[in-house]
Amino acid sequence: MLLAVLITNSEGNILVERFNGVPGEERLHWRSFLVKLGADNLKGVKNEELCVASHKSVYIVYTVLGHVNIYLVGKDEYDELALSEAIFVVTSAIKDVCGKPPTERLFLDKYGRICLCLDEIVWKGLLENTDKDRIKRLVRLKPPTEF
Amino acid sequence: MADSSGTTLMDLISSDPTSAPPPSSTSTQSSTASHQRPASPFSKPVTATTTTDRKSKRSTLMQIQSDAVSAARAAVRIPHKHKKKPVSYTQLARSIHELAASSDQKKSQRQLVHHVFPKLAVYNSVDPSLAPSLLMLGQQCEDRTILRYVYYYLARILPDTGAQGLTPGGGIPTPNWDALADIDAVGGVTRADVVPRILDRLSTEATNSDPEFHARRLQALKALTYASDSPEILQKLYEIVFGILDKVADTPDKRKKGIFGAKGGDKESIIRSNLQYGAISALRRLPLDPGNPIFLHRAVQGVSFSDPVAVRHSLEIVSVLATKDPYAVAMALGKLAQPGGALQDVLHLHDVLARVALARLCHAISRAKSLDERPDIKAQFTSLLYQLLLDPSDRVCFEAILCVLGKSDAADRTEERALGWYRLTREVLKAPEAPSVKDKDKSSKARRPQLLIKLVMRRLESSFRSFSRPVLHAAARVVQEMGKSRAAAFSLGVHEIDEGGDVNTFSENNEQEDGKSQHEGNKDTVASLLASLMEVVRTTVACECVYVRAMVIKALIWMQSPQETFAELESMIASELSDPAWSAALLNDILLTLHARFKATPDMAVTLLEIARVFATKVPGKIDADVLQLLWKTCLVGAGPDGKHTALEAVTIVLDLPPPQPGSMSGLTSIDRVFATDPKSALALQRLVQAAVWFLGENANYAASEYAWESATPPGTALMMLDADKMVAAASSRNPTLANALTRLQRCAFIGSWEVRIIAAQALTTMAIRSGEPYRIQIYEFLHALAQGGVQSQFSDMHISNGEDQGASGTGLGSLLSPMLKVLDDMYSAQDDLIKDMRNHDNAQKEWTDDELKKLYETHERLLDLVSLFCYVPRSKYLPLGPTSAKLIDIYRNRHNITASSGMRDPAVATGISELIYEATKPAPVEPDNLDDDLVNAWATGLADDGLWNNAPAMNRVNEFLAGAGTDAPDVDDENITSRPSMSYEDMWAKTLLETAEADDDDGRSSGSSSPDSVGSVETSISSHFGGMNYPSLFSSKPSTYGSSQPVEKSGTSRHRKPSGGSNSYEGYGSPITEEPPPYSSPVHQRYESFENPLAGQGSSSFDSHEEERSSSGNVQSGTALYDFTAGGDDELNLTAGEEVEIEYEVDGWFYVKKKRAGRDGKLAGLVPVLYVSQS
Repeated sequence: MLLAVLITNSEGNILVERFNGVPGEERLHWRSFLVKLGADNLKGVKNEELCVASHKSVYIVYTVLGHVNIYLVGKDEYDELALSEAIFVVTSAIKDVCGKPPTERLFLDKYGRICLCLDEIVWKGLLENTDKDRIKRLVRLKPPTEF
Repeated sequence: MADSSGTTLMDLISSDPTSAPPPSSTSTQSSTASHQRPASPFSKPVTATTTTDRKSKRSTLMQIQSDAVSAARAAVRIPHKHKKKPVSYTQLARSIHELAASSDQKKSQRQLVHHVFPKLAVYNSVDPSLAPSLLMLGQQCEDRTILRYVYYYLARILPDTGAQGLTPGGGIPTPNWDALADIDAVGGVTRADVVPRILDRLSTEATNSDPEFHARRLQALKALTYASDSPEILQKLYEIVFGILDKVADTPDKRKKGIFGAKGGDKESIIRSNLQYGAISALRRLPLDPGNPIFLHRAVQGVSFSDPVAVRHSLEIVSVLATKDPYAVAMALGKLAQPGGALQDVLHLHDVLARVALARLCHAISRAKSLDERPDIKAQFTSLLYQLLLDPSDRVCFEAILCVLGKSDAADRTEERALGWYRLTREVLKAPEAPSVKDKDKSSKARRPQLLIKLVMRRLESSFRSFSRPVLHAAARVVQEMGKSRAAAFSLGVHEIDEGGDVNTFSENNEQEDGKSQHEGNKDTVASLLASLMEVVRTTVACECVYVRAMVIKALIWMQSPQETFAELESMIASELSDPAWSAALLNDILLTLHARFKATPDMAVTLLEIARVFATKVPGKIDADVLQLLWKTCLVGAGPDGKHTALEAVTIVLDLPPPQPGSMSGLTSIDRVFATDPKSALALQRLVQAAVWFLGENANYAASEYAWESATPPGTALMMLDADKMVAAASSRNPTLANALTRLQRCAFIGSWEVRIIAAQALTTMAIRSGEPYRIQIYEFLHALAQGGVQSQFSDMHISNGEDQGASGTGLGSLLSPMLKVLDDMYSAQDDLIKDMRNHDNAQKEWTDDELKKLYETHERLLDLVSLFCYVPRSKYLPLGPTSAKLIDIYRNRHNITASSGMRDPAVATGISELIYEATKPAPVEPDNLDDDLVNAWATGLADDGLWNNAPAMNRVNEFLAGAGTDAPDVDDENITSRPSMSYEDMWAKTLLETAEADDDDGRSSGSSSPDSVGSVETSISSHFGGMNYPSLFSSKPSTYGSSQPVEKSGTSRHRKPSGGSNSYEGYGSPITEEPPPYSSPVHQRYESFENPLAGQGSSSFDSHEEERSSSGNVQSGTALYDFTAGGDDELNLTAGEEVEIEYEVDGWFYVKKKRAGRDGKLAGLVPVLYVSQS
């Protein structure tokens, strides 16, 4: 299960969050944990360089993209390596939508489309589409494979 | 545009996306506060548009929609007119309502796509009042992007997971729905109003078979799955999904290898493929239906679909189903697993997760017992699994390794793990012969069989050279799992685990079977391969990521075997812990790993304790004292009889640590120095010392196997040894473990801080109560001296102090010690009284009357209650009046049918009902002689079975950890000691002190909270504040022990009863349960009421046998007086030469004899010197 996708700005304000299968009362803890993780470890990290963490049997992979931080939390089959695959899809989609690693401004400008992309990438806690073109088509309400 | 400084979510709301505003235009709100202060920033804009609001207040939602055309024109202008002003949520919501009505206009569409929808997405939830407009848009609008947004928002309305049906999604919190009330005068639209309409619409769309509509159909189906929590919708979803699959899944669909998802093919097949994808993806989100053949059939069909994502979902479904019913899945897959089948194709599928699912599927089927009769099928799947070991993706390869190692998501089975290690070290990968290279000798030579272990080691070694942290983390995790399987193999003693053997011989054997031979020349052993891997693993400790390092250390702990030296690991951990980057959660995770390692290999108890000690000394402020204590406890138990002493030593080492040296940074990697340079750490260290002291007191008796209720030494012997030096010497020679613990506790009782001293005093009391002599008297003496402040002066010349002013009152423990001393005083004086009474009875040759016994029993119970206030003792076995009271107590219990565990407060006893019940309440004989004493003690004190794992918080943590569970949120404030869940010592002290006072008051009462017959009662006793609630103790599982300890108590009871040879007659007497119970005063019963001194030896102790029976039993010898003897005391008897006597027993050169006729002095029985009587 991909428990959470969290995107924050560099100050730790949450821009996007998608929790799956995480009880409401635990979300606050996760938010603060992830934000603290980012604050402690993401300084000086290069774009898209992956960082890893774990808590009990839950894995966390996070990275920096432009001025936003992206965190993915997963368990079971979504271990650190599967999350790395997923985070790659997310970062590529954001880069595609924004045209480059986004500033916070740019990210917010493209917020709606990023949400749609995310909707195609993660569906009810499972990774769905990973192919860039396919995501692009689906966001435009085109069929996954065109004729 | 590129300048992001000062831009916030607020800016987005305020901005016109076509032209970015100056960065500072609306930066009045700090970004930090923006998502925390929801409504306030928007208050102004709302008032700015009150005219429109008032108008709409009067209209219902439908009216808004019908009237919206004119309003929309005004609304569309809003953002343009007020570019710099923030757009409120209300405005956005209204815009949607209004624009929906004019959605046929290009301008409105643009507005929606570029302005309204993206901004609305910023709010973290979508409220239901937007649904009517969204539905209208969905129906009327043709713009694909708008429609995509519509599906997105509808899907977000559907799930009912948030507090108010909201699904937060980050961004700005959506204002309270009341903010929208002004749109709808009726009172707002609720979820209940709109959800059925949304579902209706989506269901209709999801069943629309128009080919042109199929993209929308997929989105509608996707949106519907968000409502799958509702049973009706779930049913409907199944119908829709299976309806689609019925139409599209059965058509033969040739997969075009290598071009999955690529453009091409005819329109019909592409649409079919898209629908297959949509249906399988939706099915993946629905609950599985194991046992349903149609479900399985459709899922298996999906493996052959041309859409790669559909294949992945199918494989995932099938792999989960395979764990439940592998046989059915294997049969359903049939030919797909054969060479050239669809499963083989998956090996080349680009989708990583699809291959991961394939690995899991292969694992489930190849290990299924239900398929034992089909080795061919198993072989096919095993071969597939081994091929995945060569997968270019680390994710897939590691999954395959874990599968080979026997790891499973559910509870790990040791046998499976052990077998996994065996497989890894013995089996070979025979590459399947690809049809294209079949004829080429060169290719087949290159693809010679490879040993799994070599393959895996090579792969892992190369992974450890990676720069990617997730890869390093995952590789270390795989090594850890490898260690688990290896430990399981060793613990089960799997055949041929010899790691020194050349692994190539295995591959040679296999090759020879194939008619080939291969010789590599160099000798590779499992041990050498492992050593080379571990070398690489160790270098990974240099990784800058602390989580990777933690995983590496865990891997090293698991790969550590009992025979190897652990010095390297220990020093590595010691130097690691000096890094402040380690969080408390991570450190405790490693402690838990030590637990798990111990459970796998109990032989490593001492090694692990040594490592745990490093934690205690290096990072006392960060580790959870509960978890550390539990580790001490489990290791103590697991260390076995021989290791107990060493295990206890490891705990006491914590006490021997010198006080922290502030500011001292020398010896950074020394593990014998305490690192508590800040006050917080110093405090934590003190807590740890307290915990260690308490642990010592609570568990020393177990470690030393010394229990008062099993002490062989009669109290008299100890009392004669009042010389302190002799006593200590005797004590340490008899039981060095206990004596050692005692010495350390005594030291703590006067040189520790005040808090430590209190615990030490309590620990000593616990030991005094639980230990037999001479330890008890030794502790009593010490406590007595301590209370008077005498000890300090004795030790003052030792100059051992932590620098703390111990106060003018010496130890400052006087008030605390007095109740403790009082208990011991009471016990000793009651013992004295008993001895006196017994002597009197002997001398007077009186039998114990029921009243006297009752009094004795009441004293016993009262003392037992009192003792229970201080610490746990097994009630059925503990004898506060000393071992000599056992028989008398037993007699009284048997006579009145009092069960040992419940005592007098058993309602049946109190009301006399127990007197009426005979056989029914009689404990069944449980072969008490066969019970090992140590086992009984462990059992009675809650060690065995689940006693070890009771519900203390630390145990939950360990259990959770061992089960691999735990997805709960991490605690961020781990540096804050007080925020940790464990109860602080201060709290416990408050309680302890209070209860000590209560105990003092309750001395004379036998009732009260200490009564062990209520579950909670023992918890309230002093020691159980530590044992039951916070600190794992060998004695901590009182409630459960009480609940479940009946057999032992019974055995204890029957053991006490056993020496009294007449118990059978007693049983016989009471056996017919239907028999009218004899009156209490009946002559028959009275025979049993009074009896001779049962302590007088085997012969006379048959209290419940009749005198006549006794005389005929032959135990009593007769004799003749040789000389005249004049009695010198009350207990002696006058004799005349030639007088015939019956010799009852001999004691210390004296015979206790009985005359047939009373002499002139009227005495019938008494003591005479042995030499005066000749035995006949």
